[in-house]
Amino acid sequence: MDPMNDKTKPETVWIEVLGRHREVALRQRIDAASITLGRAYDNDVVLDDPHVAAHHLRIARGEDGRWIAEDLGSRNGVYAEGETKRRERIALSGAEALRIGHTVVRLRSSAEAVPEEQPLGSRRSPWPFALGAIAIVFVLELLGLWLNETAEPKLIRYLTPVLTVVAIVAVWTTLWSVLSRVFSGHARFGLHLAILGAGLLAYSLYDQIGEFGAFALSWTALTTYQYVIGWLILAAMCFFHLRAIGPTRLPAKAIALAALAALGITMQSLKLSEWRSTYGQAVTLQRLEPPSLRLVGAENPQTFFTRVAALKATLDQARSKEPEEGAESEAEE
Amino acid sequence: MKERNLALRLACLIATATGAPIASAQLLQPQPPPDSAAPVSAAAEGIYAGTRPSLLQVRTLVEAAGRQSSIGSGFLVGADGLAITNYHVVSQYALEPKTYRLEFARPDGTQGALTLLAIDVANDLAVVRVEGADLPHLEFDPTALAGEIPRGERVYAMGNPLDIGFTIVEGTYNGLVERSYNERVHFTGAINPGMSGGPAVTAAGKVAGINVAKRLDGELVSFLVPASKAAALLERARSGAPLNPAQTREEIDHQLLAWQEGFYRKLDEQGFRATKFGPYQAPESAASWFNCWARTNAEQTPKPRAQMDSSSCSSQSSLFVAEDIESGRAELTHAYVRSSDLNAFQFAAFLSQYYASASMSRSWSRKRLTQPECREEFVAPADAAAAPVLRAVWCARAYRDFAGLYDVSLTTVTQDRDREALVSRLAMQGVSYDNALALGQRFLGAIAWTR
Repeated sequence: MDPMNDKTKPETVWIEVLGRHREVALRQRIDAASITLGRAYDNDVVLDDPHVAAHHLRIARGEDGRWIAEDLGSRNGVYAEGETKRRERIALSGAEALRIGHTVVRLRSSAEAVPEEQPLGSRRSPWPFALGAIAIVFVLELLGLWLNETAEPKLIRYLTPVLTVVAIVAVWTTLWSVLSRVFSGHARFGLHLAILGAGLLAYSLYDQIGEFGAFALSWTALTTYQYVIGWLILAAMCFFHLRAIGPTRLPAKAIALAALAALGITMQSLKLSEWRSTYGQAVTLQRLEPPSLRLVGAENPQTFFTRVAALKATLDQARSKEPEEGAESEAEE
Repeated sequence: MKERNLALRLACLIATATGAPIASAQLLQPQPPPDSAAPVSAAAEGIYAGTRPSLLQVRTLVEAAGRQSSIGSGFLVGADGLAITNYHVVSQYALEPKTYRLEFARPDGTQGALTLLAIDVANDLAVVRVEGADLPHLEFDPTALAGEIPRGERVYAMGNPLDIGFTIVEGTYNGLVERSYNERVHFTGAINPGMSGGPAVTAAGKVAGINVAKRLDGELVSFLVPASKAAALLERARSGAPLNPAQTREEIDHQLLAWQEGFYRKLDEQGFRATKFGPYQAPESAASWFNCWARTNAEQTPKPRAQMDSSSCSSQSSLFVAEDIESGRAELTHAYVRSSDLNAFQFAAFLSQYYASASMSRSWSRKRLTQPECREEFVAPADAAAAPVLRAVWCARAYRDFAGLYDVSLTTVTQDRDREALVSRLAMQGVSYDNALALGQRFLGAIAWTR
């Protein structure tokens, strides 16, 4: 049945009816030199679209061997896909699709090139990584909670965050799987879980390491700007989720997500700065660690007080500036 | 009074037009007019009659609305119309001369504008002028000027409490408050909002002091400014040029700077004693005008897993500058924390709550103070064998209205042991940057191991 080798037969042509997401809903081989499409049952291809006429379209091979589509007098007409001008006749070369009513149809010649065969088993199961990453996240979070425990340990304090993380994992992964199922036809739950696991793991690691680093290196910015890392990880996760759904237009998706992350970071920075200005909060280290974790050397008192003395200039400069808008509101502890 | 320690807080006595919160029900009950009232005593009746014409009610009015926003009292001290009141009674006008104006009302019903001639922020005094001549006025008591009124002497405080009418209050003169940096007379008697700036007179009808404040956490514990301070300010007002309303802020700034210069010099002269906290020693002021309180968390339930014992010494030297700026206080706090129950990480987390609050102020008005600027470092001691490495954070804000003044705090945490630490804090209000640096250096340098 290989038309390529059957030189005696004329070129075989397939007609394809495309679904809402351009997946092929119906594929039919055309053996005759002319076929009709429409809702009526005497057509060669019966379409269930209510916006299609009973006899809507005829596709026939012309004398020069090219296929010509012809409107059979429908109310809604025939369009080349992507165009807005109604056409009576369209000569088909194979690449273009036609829109009739809400249905899209196209012809495919038997000579149409198809993508290369994908090797079986090239895709590793995402489950071991996904479950491993999430397990590590749980361990890290519980460890963090335990290291911050200064009162009597209570099970509920550990259980609540664990259940919260479980709920977030379930909701987030399900959401992306549903989107995936709708747009690409595959839920790919494992893959989405793996992406989330990687994101959570990255954030969780940063959360712990940043906290130690801020103390050990005496570099408070590591924790002060932690939210920036959070937004970047979230944007990266969304990118990989989108890529898992469909690998088309990746640069556009990346740019959109980068813009969203930038927006999120800007919003949060503004909000934090507003909050600090309302409550008169300075940025200082929020968390001490055991003294043995200190990595940087200690300054001598003279150096410290020289640096402290340098703050005077900044303060005197701030003094001359009027307080910001809304200065009437007072903050009390 | 928010979270402030009531025991340490003096109340200033401005009654607002909307009613002072401390006005109790009994006080607001209609009282018989003074003239027909049964006399407290025959002596008081005579004093009241003799003193009353010299009294003033001092009102601060919102210029735009023409209504009073706060009231206080005052009294004439010269036939030429010079009168004494409290700085805090006229502070709104002093700081915002365009928004407010001053008015007086005399017991005979006459009213008129007041001119502000001189202020003394440190002693909470002001001299104002009433237009007029041959006005009745009071004299200062010579024994009071010499500071020789004996304790237990009967004194009568006068003024217009809560805007209900001129009143006389009988009380007892208890000498200077022993542990106060600013000289104040302890007066046992009921001073109420609105009486601020009124005179406290002796049985001879002469001024012994000026009503200024009371404690909210006690009964009848009130304070007077010594008469000598008022006499000195009056002398300055008579001889010097009157205050230019546009330059009042500079004058306040100048007085606050001079005051803190004296305060921190004396603090330095008095020296510090090393107080022992477990294996550490830390400085506490040897000056008598520090009030120290100890706190422990040992009795908390559930039982804390780290024990914290702290000692907090604060100077009795608060200055009223405006409703939303208090100045003049210095505070030294040391908290010795230890635990055998927590691991090193948990102990550090426990300490963090004391450290992270370093940048927080108890209250602040961004109209008055700038955003804080902080600097934090690990600081090694000058002598590594004598003292531990410290984690130190310095935070400072500038006063927007007063050049050269700052609120500063320095917090340190010892970094030599896993489950034992000393958290120390030095907080200074309304201090010059140089004085703050000098005291900060001395404070930090005095944290050491016990020998």
